[in-house]
Amino acid sequence: MNALSPQTGPAISVDGLVVKIGTRTIINGLSFDLQRQEILGLIGPSGSGKSVTMRALVGLIPHDGGAVTVMGRDYAQLNRRQRVETQRNWGVLFQQGALFSSLTVKENIEFQMREHLHLSSKLRSDIAMIKLDLVGLPAAAANSYPAELSGGMIKRAALARALALDPQILFLDEPTAGLDPIGAGKFDELIVTLRDTLGLTVLMVTHDLDSLAMACDRIVALANGKLLKAGTLSEMLESDQPWLQEYFHGPRARNIGS
Amino acid sequence: MVALGRTATFQAPLRFASFVHQFEQIVLRAIPIVALISLVVGAIITQQTILQLRQFGVTIFVVDLAAILMFREIGVLLAAIMVAGRSGSAITAEIGAMRIREEFDALQVMGVDPHQALMLPRVAALVVGMPLLAFVGSMSGLAGAAVVAKFYGDIPFDIFTDRLRGAMTVTSVVVGLIKAPFMGFLVGLLASIEGMKVAGSSESLGQRTTSSVVKSIFVVIVADGLFAIFFAAIGL
Repeated sequence: MNALSPQTGPAISVDGLVVKIGTRTIINGLSFDLQRQEILGLIGPSGSGKSVTMRALVGLIPHDGGAVTVMGRDYAQLNRRQRVETQRNWGVLFQQGALFSSLTVKENIEFQMREHLHLSSKLRSDIAMIKLDLVGLPAAAANSYPAELSGGMIKRAALARALALDPQILFLDEPTAGLDPIGAGKFDELIVTLRDTLGLTVLMVTHDLDSLAMACDRIVALANGKLLKAGTLSEMLESDQPWLQEYFHGPRARNIGS
Repeated sequence: MVALGRTATFQAPLRFASFVHQFEQIVLRAIPIVALISLVVGAIITQQTILQLRQFGVTIFVVDLAAILMFREIGVLLAAIMVAGRSGSAITAEIGAMRIREEFDALQVMGVDPHQALMLPRVAALVVGMPLLAFVGSMSGLAGAAVVAKFYGDIPFDIFTDRLRGAMTVTSVVVGLIKAPFMGFLVGLLASIEGMKVAGSSESLGQRTTSSVVKSIFVVIVADGLFAIFFAAIGL
């Protein structure tokens, strides 16, 4: 596996990752692989470090140990320029969407193109409208400001923005949180469709059992900053680990696997 | 600081559209309030001064005092304090809200340095705009002084301007205007830094905004004192 053959090996490989915030060790020797074109669900009890893991992977929190290999390149070894290049390979959907509130939806989607590419404004606008269509938003939403949109539309708009530069990897932080069951189900469908059509690799932090069942190919469970178990949903269901038992066989999990 | 260096060395663009927008918000829209406050303060100082000078029969010296005071100290200081309260708080709240809503992180993830994109246009607008505000403040302070001198001190406008020509030197104006960009820089820097320290809660946003205004005003006054010592030492 080297930088010149990026089509082989896992999309992201995390090996012994350590992340500290202040003096507290949040992630302590976490290892897992994110395979190409899979949808991986990251679960764990609150405070187990799911969000921190995601934020560390996208470069928002410095790593204190271990190695993260993105598309065959060791992230820690990259210089500033290469990092920006690598960042263009992924899109991030934040929990609240994090759309720039002073820009319209279309301007939000165009933002990265404006920053990193030299495109004519016509082309930029066309691409933005295609992305908008891709995530199932009406063209009329293009000129609204984020404050005028509903929660579900904000998530979709933020997804369109994350897809602006045709990333290969998509990070989703609780994509279905705050959506009604119908909206959440549609969002899961959308993620699967996008994966199938665009060949995306998806890492999603989630609490939503339905998303895990419907969208995720594999699940990684964290506890106390360590890997608890990684595997498919059926492997999770068979596990006799107490927390997984409770998680997958609790009162809210009755529909899963049936 | 790194962002500043990178822009200064043309490695990264100065966001011109953002700069223009911030210049309008921070500087141009502050002109009326700065002018009004300076006018009132100028008038009050003049009235009190006339009251004292009248006992010695040298009311005319109020012109010298108003000119020197307004241009050297009061104009720039009032402008800086107003901007710290008005725009410093806005900068902190804006950047802080972006932190809470993860917009700040979104910028970073998109390969855009938030310092460079958010902080620099605001600081640059303040550095460029503060001399303008200081000048507007000084002029309206002087106008306030002239009005009070006429109606309270019986000094007609033509005598006021005549005396002004002798009392006011280029040095006073320059001393005042030299300080302005530094004060703008300090206010912008402190306000941005406080905004970036906002973490999580809306309570933190309130604390940081308060802290931004308090720190900026304090630093601006201390800086003015240091400048006064400095100018006295080099004999200006």
